Parts: sequence; C-alpha cells; structure tokens
Amino acid sequence: METDVKRNLISRRHFLRLTGMAAGVAALAACAPSAPSAQTGPPASADGQVTISWWNGFSTPTVQEIAPQIVGEFERMHPNIKIDYEISGGPPGGGNLTEVMLSRIAAGNPPDTITLWDAPSQYGALGALTAIDEFMAQATYATPDAFYENVLNTCKWQGRTYGLPASAAAAAMFFNTDLFAEKGIAMTRETFPTTWDELRALSDEFTVLENGEVKQAGFMPPWSATWLYPVWSVLNGGLIFDAANTLYTVNSPENIAWIEYWANWLDEAYGGNFERINIAGNWGSAYPDQNSAFYNQLSSMFVDGGWIMTDIDFPFEWEVAKLPYGPMGTKTASGYWPNWFAMPKGGLHPTESFLFIEYFCTKGWETWYRAIPDTPAWKGASRDVVTQALIDKVGEERALELHRFFLDYLEDSAPMWDSPVNAFAMDTLQTAIESVLGKVKSARAAMDEAQALIQAKLEETLRAG
Amino acid sequence: MSRKTRDNLRAYLFVSPWLISLLVFTAYPMLASFYFSMTRYTIVRPPVWIGLENFRVMFTKDDLFWVAVWNTLYYTVVSVPLQMLVALFLATLLNLSTRGIGFYRTAFYLPALVPAVVTTLLWMLILDPRAGLANAALEAVGLPKLGWMYSVAWSKPSLIIIALWTGVGQPMLIFLAGLKNVPQSLLEAAIIDGTNAWQRYWRVIIPLLTPTIFFNLLITLIASFQVFTTAFVATASASGASPAGPLNSMLVYMVHLYRQGFSYFAMGYASAMAVVLFLVLVVLTLILVRSSREWVHYEGASPR
Repeated sequence: METDVKRNLISRRHFLRLTGMAAGVAALAACAPSAPSAQTGPPASADGQVTISWWNGFSTPTVQEIAPQIVGEFERMHPNIKIDYEISGGPPGGGNLTEVMLSRIAAGNPPDTITLWDAPSQYGALGALTAIDEFMAQATYATPDAFYENVLNTCKWQGRTYGLPASAAAAAMFFNTDLFAEKGIAMTRETFPTTWDELRALSDEFTVLENGEVKQAGFMPPWSATWLYPVWSVLNGGLIFDAANTLYTVNSPENIAWIEYWANWLDEAYGGNFERINIAGNWGSAYPDQNSAFYNQLSSMFVDGGWIMTDIDFPFEWEVAKLPYGPMGTKTASGYWPNWFAMPKGGLHPTESFLFIEYFCTKGWETWYRAIPDTPAWKGASRDVVTQALIDKVGEERALELHRFFLDYLEDSAPMWDSPVNAFAMDTLQTAIESVLGKVKSARAAMDEAQALIQAKLEETLRAG
Repeated sequence: MSRKTRDNLRAYLFVSPWLISLLVFTAYPMLASFYFSMTRYTIVRPPVWIGLENFRVMFTKDDLFWVAVWNTLYYTVVSVPLQMLVALFLATLLNLSTRGIGFYRTAFYLPALVPAVVTTLLWMLILDPRAGLANAALEAVGLPKLGWMYSVAWSKPSLIIIALWTGVGQPMLIFLAGLKNVPQSLLEAAIIDGTNAWQRYWRVIIPLLTPTIFFNLLITLIASFQVFTTAFVATASASGASPAGPLNSMLVYMVHLYRQGFSYFAMGYASAMAVVLFLVLVVLTLILVRSSREWVHYEGASPR
C-alpha cells in the first residue's frame, strides 16, 4: 500500500524540476531575439485597409491638439491607412519609450513607427531601425536632398538612413535688450559680436563680482548644455566626431583651446571658483521654474534653441543673434535639436509606415510649426508659415523675420548627433570639461582621457555591430 | 489517484502562481544575467559570447566603475550606521507611553510611505543652493551657503540626508516591534536588582534587541548598496548639473549600471556589473550571518 501511494505521488523535487523547465522554456521563448522579419507583413484586410502603429513621444497639451490634426490630414490623403496611436505620449502601457521600444524590437513585435528624442544614427548603428534609403529614393517629399544636410546626417550611419528629422530647432544667442539699454549699449543682431573675444569684452560690461561671488553676469560659458558641445567645437574650427572616418577628435588642438578659453574666462571674469559660480545662479537654463539666471536677469545673454521664444514669457525684451566664433575658427555655426521619426526594425508595414513618417516630417510639420516653433528640417517648408503663438507674442512681421532667421541659420549648422555613441560621448565630455573648469585636470589631460574613453567605446560599438 | 496525491497536487496548484512568477521573473532573469555578463549584448542583436571580457574591462579599464564603487561605499559606510542609530533612537522615543503617541508613530513613519521620487524632488527644493530652505537656514545663523547637490564635497552628504529621511521609517517600525517584545518581567527584575534606566537599556534591552538589529542591518546594508532612485532622480532633475553629479560624485553603482544598460546599450556589461554586485552582497551577507553568532542573542537559545 505504502509503495503504491509512493508510486503515484509526484515528488517535490520532480514537481519543481518540471515547473522550472516549463517556466524556463516559456521565458526563453519570450525573451529570445526574434528572427529577422521578412518586412512584408500581413496582407491588408479585404477592404485594403492597413492599420499602422505610431508611438507618439509627445505629451504636451499643444501637441495633443496638433498631432490628431496631422494624423487626420494624413488619413484623408491615404484612406487605406489608419494610424493607431496614444495621444498621451509614450509607449502603450507606459514605461520609458526607448527601453520599451528596444525590448519590443528584441521580442519581435515593435511598433511600425516611433518618435525619437535621440538621433536615429545611434539606434541605426545598434541595429534597431529600418533603413529607409530605398523609400526615400522614390519619395514624393522626403527625398535625400529635401532636408538640411547636417540635420539629415543625424539619421545616417555608415551611408544608410535610419529615420527622418521632423524639426531642426536651431540654437542662437538670445540677449536681453532691456539690460543692454540700461547699460547704454545699442545692440542689434547685425552689430552683435562675431568673435569670442568680442563677446567676452561685451560680457565684461555686465559682470559684477562682490566678495568673489557673481552678482551679475554678461554671458556665462554654457558648460552644462552638452548638446551644444559639437557647435562650440566647430565655432573654434574643430570637430568632435568625424563621422566620415569614424573617429573622435576630442583632444584636437581646437577643442583643447576651446576648453582653455572657457576656463580662462571663468577665472578672469567670474572668480574661477567653479562651485561658487554654480551656486550663484542657474546659468544652464532659461526656464523660470528652474530658477534661471537668464530669466531672472542675472545674465544678459544665453544660448538656446528657438523653442524658448514661445515656451517662455520673458519679463523683458529680447533679440537673437548668431553665435560668435573662437580664435581658431573662421565662421559662425548653429546647433539644432531635432525631433525624429523612424521605423523600428521588424515593423510589419514598412511601405505605409514610410508614407506616414514622410508626411509627418514634411507637409505635416508645417501644421505642427503653426503651433510650436520647432523649425522644420524639411527645406520644402514654406518660408511664410509662422507659429501663431509667436505672432501673438511679437507680432506678425517680427515673427516672420525671426522664423526666417532660424531657417537661414540652419544653413550654417554644425555636424552633430551623428555618432552611434553620442550619449556616452557627451556624458564623458561633460565630466572632462567640468574637471577642467573645476581645476581638477588640465584641458589637455582631461581631453586626452575623454578621447581615449570615447574612441574605445566607439570601437567596441563597431565591433558589436 | 490517491487522496494524498490529490492533496499534494492541490497544494502545488495553489502555490504555483508564486512559484512560476519566482521562476520566470526572479530566477530566470538572475540566471540570464549570469549568461549575459559573459556576452556583448545590445538588446536588439543576439548576444555574442566574449567570456570574461566585461569583467576585465570593468576592473582594469572603466575608471567610472571604481568611482561608482567608491561613491557607493562612502554612501553605505555613512548612511547605514546613521539610519540604524536614528531609527533606534526614534523607536525608543516612540516606545514611551505618553499622550498622543499614536500620532507621533504615524507622523514619523509617514516619510517612508511617500514615493522616493516625490521625496527626492522635495529635498531638491530644500537643498537648492540658490533659493532652498537649507541655505536660507544656514544664512540665518550666519553660516556660509553650501552647494549641496552642486558641490563635489556636499553631494554625497545630500544623498545621505535624503536617504535618512526616506529610509528611517521602516527600520524604526521594526525596532519598535522589537522593543515591544522585550519581556516586562526582565525589566522588572533588573529594577529590583537596582539598575538605572541607562543600564537597563544597554544590559537588557539592547541584547534582547540584537536579532532585530541584525535583521535591520542586513536589509539596510543591501538597500544602501542598491541605492538608485534618489541618486538618479536627484541628478536627472538638478538643472544645470552633471548627469551624475559634479565630477561624478553622485555616480553610485546602480546609476552607473543603469546608464551602461539603458543609455549606452551595453547590456552585457551592465549584467556583469549586476553579477559583481550580487556576489559582493552574498559575501557581505555571509560575513554578517557568520558574525551574528558572536553578537546576536536569541531568547531561549542555549549559550555557546
């Protein structure tokens, strides 16, 4: 009897083994990288209707009003394509957009299209996005030459294009004309300094130190704006990343000279104590909720993207100008922070997906631009379409003039956002720059170290690819 | 099928949701981490076996790894004893019989209920070097303003202050439960023996509380090695500050791991870091458990 019972019992160990095997197999099946998609996708439904998904990264109220308009325009143009998206932004079910996107690509069920905040070049090198060159060759609007060259380069990796830039909000120098008037300095965009030396001399006119503490600044070198590092490098005749040769040039003489210039500026104009300068004001933001030095009129000049023209209600009159160039540079350059659209690898409807991202990044962005001053990256955008919110703030004539200034400035854009290790590079460079400004290392030592680290990371990424 | 078999199956059926979730969501990721730690893995592409390369890079090439180790050790060495002492002190106060003690117990525990992100953002406002309450208070008593999160010297103490605020509630509650379990008869016997309050605390209460101290120490130690939310939120929301604090002074281990995995897509390397942390915590736990034989006293246990 005892023997019979024992024979029929499942032992605890046996049960655990079976459960473990079942769970392991299930988990492995769920997590294993999927086989590459054939990219043909399921056939359209009987009525020819195709639904494609769009992971919308935007969530502000204005965007929630504009996005449905653009989607509606597209769906009217393409009655057989329906866009499935969540107006609230982010991936369905929540979570970090990038993390969920990569997990979904690995699991074989990505969205058809996605909005990205980081450059497609980075994700393209990672193998996460579908190359769209063949689509672009036959496109109506998004042809290879239809975008500002350097802005489109943010989507390229090793000759292939992995997405489209929708916007290219250019960066420029904003200056507080009220403070200039108080000082009796007549300044216009045309008379604004064109070199760093002139800028520094102008900045000194405003700078006030009391017991070594910065009470008022002219222009504070923007060490925390990492996205603009490539621009400062170009302004001094350098380059941070040479995409054509897949080589970082962080420790070039031009870049070392740029950082030394900033360090000397902090030393001679602002007392040189990096920590005290940091405590004296938030020099890295224009937004009032971040206690911005520029907004609070502690500084007279500030570099940022054109979006702050409507994002912020400045309590003073302002003007914009092009960025001055450094002692080793010869001309101005602008920076830009695009919004990108891309097609994750493994999407089921690449043809329809391309039509959607093409429309959004070209004609659709004109609709967008009427609400938000993110300058279009598409060169075909009308020079006469102006953001209504900007018109409301500064009047139609000045809004149009500002719009054209930012559009034209994109012709001087610097190469940026074009490295597969951009995030790592900018983080590393920021640490290096801060170590120089904080007098922990010399500019040469810090930039040599940063160069070695970033180039090693790049090579590791290339090996992985 | 016999009744015993049916009973066993039924029992396993009832525990199976927990068991399966343990295997799928805990055991499998842990085992997978061990495998991924030996690979070059960027999430999207299949992992490529590279043996111990990630560990070699970690120990010999990645300077930031050692910065993160140092920052985490600093944080742990200062914050764990501090949290334990403050929690024990508060629990002792809350163990007193006084009017409104229920209110105080609730009030002191409340910070532990507030999400860490909210608490960190609140403390960011308090510690804002330009307009925060902390510097206003320092100025009011004639002391110089501090840089807090913007200062290499003060960024880690800032994290520790926030950790103290958020982390004390849980061990305090467990200490309070431990204090409530101290037998009244032993305290009365000590009084009859002529001890004063201080002697009773050190000679009777603390020895009886050592199992609770051991548990709290273990949990707080592990949590402090895994500190993430406070450091991540603080550095991400400090406008104008570096992504890991000034000169990486707030780059704790888990933030470095997260950046490697999700910002730089080096998931194999991040897994290797996770494995190292796991092994360190296993060793520390074993040491603590081993040492507990010397200083933890269980009521009713036979003397060694």
